Amino acid sequence: MFDVAGLWLGFQIAFSPVNLLWGFIGCALGTAVGVLPGLGPAATIALLLPISMKMGSPVTAIILMSGIFYGAMYGGSTTSILLKIPGEAASVVTCVDGYEMARQGRAGPALGVAAIGSFIAGTIGLIGLTAMAPPLAEVALKFGPAEYFSLTVLGLLLATYLTGDSPLKGLTMAIMGLLLGSIGLDPLSGAVRFDFGVADLQSNIDFVTLAMGLFGVGEILISLEKSEAASILTTRIKNVFPTLADLARSGWAMVRGSVIGFFVGILPGGGAVLSSLVSYAVEKRVSKHPEAFGHGAIEGVAGPESANNAAASSSFIPLLTLGIPGNASTAMIFAALLIHGITPGPFLLKEHADVFWGVVASMYIGNVMLLVLNLPLVGIWVQLLRVPYAFMAPLIMVLTLVGVYSVNNSVFDIWVMLFMGILGYLARKLKFDLGPLLLAFVLGPIMERSLRQALLMSNGKFEIFVAKPISGALLGIAVLFVLYNLWAARKKTA
Amino acid sequence: MKSWQRYAGVVFLALAALVIQQSVWVLRLFDHGQPGSGFMPFGLGVILAILAICLIATNLGAEEQHVPFWEPKAWLRPLLAIFITSVYVVVFDDIGAITSVVVLVVCWLFFVERKGALVSAGTGVLTGLVVYLVFERFLQTPFPRGLLF
Repeated sequence: MFDVAGLWLGFQIAFSPVNLLWGFIGCALGTAVGVLPGLGPAATIALLLPISMKMGSPVTAIILMSGIFYGAMYGGSTTSILLKIPGEAASVVTCVDGYEMARQGRAGPALGVAAIGSFIAGTIGLIGLTAMAPPLAEVALKFGPAEYFSLTVLGLLLATYLTGDSPLKGLTMAIMGLLLGSIGLDPLSGAVRFDFGVADLQSNIDFVTLAMGLFGVGEILISLEKSEAASILTTRIKNVFPTLADLARSGWAMVRGSVIGFFVGILPGGGAVLSSLVSYAVEKRVSKHPEAFGHGAIEGVAGPESANNAAASSSFIPLLTLGIPGNASTAMIFAALLIHGITPGPFLLKEHADVFWGVVASMYIGNVMLLVLNLPLVGIWVQLLRVPYAFMAPLIMVLTLVGVYSVNNSVFDIWVMLFMGILGYLARKLKFDLGPLLLAFVLGPIMERSLRQALLMSNGKFEIFVAKPISGALLGIAVLFVLYNLWAARKKTA
Repeated sequence: MKSWQRYAGVVFLALAALVIQQSVWVLRLFDHGQPGSGFMPFGLGVILAILAICLIATNLGAEEQHVPFWEPKAWLRPLLAIFITSVYVVVFDDIGAITSVVVLVVCWLFFVERKGALVSAGTGVLTGLVVYLVFERFLQTPFPRGLLF
């Protein structure tokens, strides 16, 4: 079941001093952005994309970015528990019982259980990733254009339905992402699309520019509307190591959270947020004392925090084996791989085994680093909350502006980024989720190429998409999923 | 907020019309019997139009509770930030990358965050120094030369 040789190769790569250092930086940065409300892992990875391009080795770049992604899941719980402000969307539900525990003077055990649960779940998720990815990549080798088109359709549909509140808005954003992705050179015919006479638009919108604008600049602009979060912490955190009784109560919640997170994380759009919500609901349902939830139940912290970490690990499965990112952060990692000339997908394991196994092994090491960073050193991260956002906002802005210029040395890119930032700001104001837009922007070229290649193979007959068993099954699931959601929405309004 | 959702729907509808027009008249829907460069954009334009109409339709009628798009004066700081950043981009090539970074940070802290002149200037110079060291020296980004550097 396990490719031991592959994993051994991965550990040899991950244990090199450079990769260890960048892995540590990624984990520390991830924890920091997880702790700080407002700046998420997707925005941070976007900010670091230009720097990652200067890194010689793609493995090192991806190790850094993965560290930020799963590190944020660890750090996100800290502010949820101590301030009732989720540092990360996946830790929203942790606020409920985590903050109650803190109010009862049990902030330490809450933080401890969150960190231990995250470690266990992250490791379980990684074992699943190690075991499932190679066989799944083998299956994916059989995929042709029709299957890839159906897979991207299903992935986008799931992502739009499972993220955000409104599928209508999610779908609109996904279509906008696909359209933005079609600006510039048509990959098949070479025709120029939607350039409107602007020469700079002929070479497609750069992913880094789009991502930094939507997530970096957009985030800053929206934060400027709010008055500064001045909740300077006065709580002293004691006894972060939970008691045996705490561990006994939260043990099964961690296991259940890990399993839920692992499977929900594989779904496009599922990810950490949904898995933590599902886990909380399950814990409440299976508990002998459901009335304790909302009043400081430790299971309400252990389950969701385990789930979001397992989901973070398992969301790498569709990315690395099928080339289909499931959320905004993995879409950034997808783009980073492309920037380094590596196409994520079934051939990754065969052609770039060093990248695949190096990243997987680094995640095992990163999990241990994060446990150390988040258990005994939690007090240090809390101090980050004292840094006034007034100083951080212009510094982040400078990083995005200089960063995006450094990609192509183009001032036009800075204008595009600023425009995207304003769009991102307005989208946030109108409650349009930007995740589907980013995913669609990444998946758009794959989707269009697959669609047109499949139609070329079938002489323009659309039957190819249902005649091929895997493609037909994937489209069938997509149709059933949409019908079920329409039925559920109708039932809700009736 | 419903009215703003309707406006968004109208914008999406206009965008959809533009995409469809471009796909049909400028690009090719079919090329030698096979899907051309306008094929997928055309389909996307049609779907976007349908979604935009749904968005408008679901937001018709009066709001149950009026939610303002902006709280009083909440638009001011984002607008100032956009203006300062736009000025930064305009002067970027002329006064040079590092100088424009210093100007951006100083103006941002002084006008947007209402910090004192000394604090703003100090932070601006420090940021310029860090950008110079990280991007110009370490990452060797070829920044445009300006008046001072």
